[in-house]
Amino acid sequence: MLPALQFSDDYYLNYCAKYLARRNTEARHTYGCACETSDRRARISECWRFPIVDTHHDLAEPTRSTTNAVSFIYDARGCSVSTVAVTGTFASLHQRIPLQPVRFLGRETGYLATTVLVPKKQVHIYQFLVDDTPTLDPINIQRATLDNGRIWSRFFTDGCAVPLMLERWEFQLLGPLTAHILPFRTQTGELFLKQYYDRLDRHAIGSQYRFDQAVGVVNFIDKVIAREERHHYGDYRVALSLIRDVLRQRHPGCEPADAPREAFVELYEQLGSGDVPGWDYSRYHEPRYFLQLLRRHTYTGAFSHPRNGGNVLAAGWAFLADRYRDADGNTLFDWERALESPLGTSPDYRG
Amino acid sequence: MNAVSEPDQFDVVVIGSGAGGAPLAHSLILAGKSVLILEKGPLIEPQYRDPRGVSGFKRDELFATGPEKIIRVPNVTNTGKAYYSSHVEPDLNDEPHVYREQLGDDRATIEGYTAQVVGGGTQLYGGVSLRFTPLDFRLGSFNAGRTDILHDPDGSVRREARDWPISYDELEPYYARAERLVGINGTHENQAKPFRSGGTYQPPLSTNPISRFVEVGMDALGMPRYRTPLAVITRDHEPSGRRVPADPEQARTGYVNRYGDPLGLKSSTWVSLLAPLRDRPNFALRYNCVVTRLEAQGSRVNKVWYLDPAGSEHAVTGKVVVVACSAIESVRLLMLSGLADSRFAERINPHGLLGAYFLTHCFGGAHATVPGRYDKSVSLDSDWATDFAGTEAFIREHGLWAGAAIYNNTSDHALPLSLGRTHGNQDLDTVWNGFASDLRLTGEGLLRYLDGTFGRSLSVSFMANQVPLRENRVELHSSVTDKWGRPVAYIVKDWHAHDRYLMDVLARTSADILRYGGDGIGHHPVEGFGGVYNSDNGRARIANHILGGARFGTDPTDSVLDVHCRAWNFDNLYVTDGAFMPTAGGANPTLTIQANSFRVGDHLAERL
Repeated sequence: MLPALQFSDDYYLNYCAKYLARRNTEARHTYGCACETSDRRARISECWRFPIVDTHHDLAEPTRSTTNAVSFIYDARGCSVSTVAVTGTFASLHQRIPLQPVRFLGRETGYLATTVLVPKKQVHIYQFLVDDTPTLDPINIQRATLDNGRIWSRFFTDGCAVPLMLERWEFQLLGPLTAHILPFRTQTGELFLKQYYDRLDRHAIGSQYRFDQAVGVVNFIDKVIAREERHHYGDYRVALSLIRDVLRQRHPGCEPADAPREAFVELYEQLGSGDVPGWDYSRYHEPRYFLQLLRRHTYTGAFSHPRNGGNVLAAGWAFLADRYRDADGNTLFDWERALESPLGTSPDYRG
Repeated sequence: MNAVSEPDQFDVVVIGSGAGGAPLAHSLILAGKSVLILEKGPLIEPQYRDPRGVSGFKRDELFATGPEKIIRVPNVTNTGKAYYSSHVEPDLNDEPHVYREQLGDDRATIEGYTAQVVGGGTQLYGGVSLRFTPLDFRLGSFNAGRTDILHDPDGSVRREARDWPISYDELEPYYARAERLVGINGTHENQAKPFRSGGTYQPPLSTNPISRFVEVGMDALGMPRYRTPLAVITRDHEPSGRRVPADPEQARTGYVNRYGDPLGLKSSTWVSLLAPLRDRPNFALRYNCVVTRLEAQGSRVNKVWYLDPAGSEHAVTGKVVVVACSAIESVRLLMLSGLADSRFAERINPHGLLGAYFLTHCFGGAHATVPGRYDKSVSLDSDWATDFAGTEAFIREHGLWAGAAIYNNTSDHALPLSLGRTHGNQDLDTVWNGFASDLRLTGEGLLRYLDGTFGRSLSVSFMANQVPLRENRVELHSSVTDKWGRPVAYIVKDWHAHDRYLMDVLARTSADILRYGGDGIGHHPVEGFGGVYNSDNGRARIANHILGGARFGTDPTDSVLDVHCRAWNFDNLYVTDGAFMPTAGGANPTLTIQANSFRVGDHLAERL
């Protein structure tokens, strides 16, 4: 049995008050859930934050952090609900973990919540049992369709590298597109990455990491369009499809992702100019907009905290730390100093 | 339901837990008064106080400026545009500030919010904690009769400048108290402010080596310099019980400005003033609670209405009610209260001054690429400051009406994302635009950019008084509402011709520091300098210095508050955030707001 934790009421209310409590009826949040204006989530702020995937600090192993605290919240305000439980692949599917009332000043608020510890780097599906009736999480934007056609709610934990949104060919196509933007295809970049990856203990790291020139940026994109920037999922689906078509026209003898590097350089320039021969503008009007989006995501993925799915094994930061040194060889970007163990070396910060 | 009867009557109800509310609450709790603080935002504890052992503040650049969000607010012209915000700033679609770019062009903005969290803006700020100069308190009399003020064709400076109803000397003991109780490091020597009550700064940490260029530049120009006072403890802090790490230098990280501090070393009002008193029986703190209106009977506010975290409405009463939820929101709350009751409106705003004379700072500076490279990720927000531009001599020499503090920024561009997202932009409304659009920063081009900028960028900023103008104001917007259906704040402001001139002068002065700092002879290239009025959204820019709109004074026809920050026509209503300021001061305002809050706290302790 996976034990449930019950954090303080205040912990849950810190999220409920800002993101859920409201009286407005305007659908001002459609962008976040890519849903219809009639959908309740269109009136909820940042619904991607639910369930809450938070840091967990294990007092028994203070220098390791292998789990996230995942908190499920059900908003039963104004509803006549007796019991709510959660069941999911993070525990036995037979296990029902009851959500408990969240109180403010001793009064029940109508919010129900519970917390479980889930290992990092994982993806899970779950559903609520509302008075024993299986129910999708009405807040969470993430959903997964199973092989049997059933839809479940979904979440993933820090550093997850399991593909969620992008198809295999999309992953492959984004590889050279993002690698072209980043500095790791330069001579010094390539040399650094080769040496950096070679130094790593791959067995200890696990097999799910992709050792590529984009330092996990494509995985970052896959995760950010699954959650925080779900509204850009459509941009990637359509634009990548058009890029594939253009590359097929220009290089009919090979898979688009295997087109020569010069083809991507040319395409990049054309995307930037907004004039892409062969582009179907009726399906995506502004190729330059997609490039700007890709640039922001690529840079962010390469240099943000690895918990977000990119900057795999902190390779982006390590590149800067290695490249910029003083005359004595000391790094001029000591990123490890401020960050939590085992990623960093701070004796105080716990992540 | 297991409802517990919670008290609903207090000696003092304080709305807001930041720089304006927390200091007086601290004093009154210690004086044995029953105090309730209502705070709109969550309580995020530092590690040492959190039962889970971790903090909700993270050293993660995506916490400071998070994922892209899209404005979907109706009736503004930038709906559909992207914006980025910290995790403790409001969702603009739920609670936008709207400013007037020009007539018929209203835009939502993230400018003008500090933070919605226990501790308010002091959780995210860089911690620069400067005193105002004595002259900042008497700009009315200083400028009266002057004929040498440049770029003031209609005489607005002389007409609108006001003395504060208190002097520097009266506030000085409270500055000292704030510095001691909040926990500030820095140095006194060379400051143009008398420290009559003695110095209470903790010693500063090491400077970042890149700041050496500022030392050289200031010295070459004869600018007396001092270590910038910063609200970060560097030694164990007895008043709050906080302890520094075995190596106090661990406080220096790039995760400073716009980050809450997971270690609690940054002296937010929560960790410094309120958390140490958390268990006192006469102190109640209700967070995630938004105050919707004040209700009055005659001259007494007798109910404070708020929505709890589930949106249920409650009322509490206080013998005294203090509004301190940052100037824009405080003015808005008072106006919303007037909207619900015309008698309240007549009392709070008999002369049409509520919301008028809204102020921020004239700010800007210069930036340069310095020789060599430095690890800026090991830094605090600023290392060196000078009052050179705050002296009467400087002011008169340049035909200015007021002076400024100048200091270097050490933590800007310290981390890779902060470098990229501010490329070509410095303001909150346009982050990432520059990088996303600059297609040259690709592959070798991106590498050259990083080689040329990372650890090499140095900026110098100024913070100066803005000319107070009645037409610069906060109103309620006529059609845009928040998530509770209440009108949002509407900001109408522009820069006076003298503001523009003053910013030009100070930007050149800031640039000179870098020119001389780079080579000692004034020839080092400066890449950019200027005042904030030059930016694309220059009318919106506020720098999170949200001041005025309910100024205090001695004349009830010329001010909203009396000398104790009490609303003139109310017996028990006080406003103690930056709204009380009749002029903005030539420095970052937080320490002055804190000092004044302590002053009002002493007054209330005597009164109650």
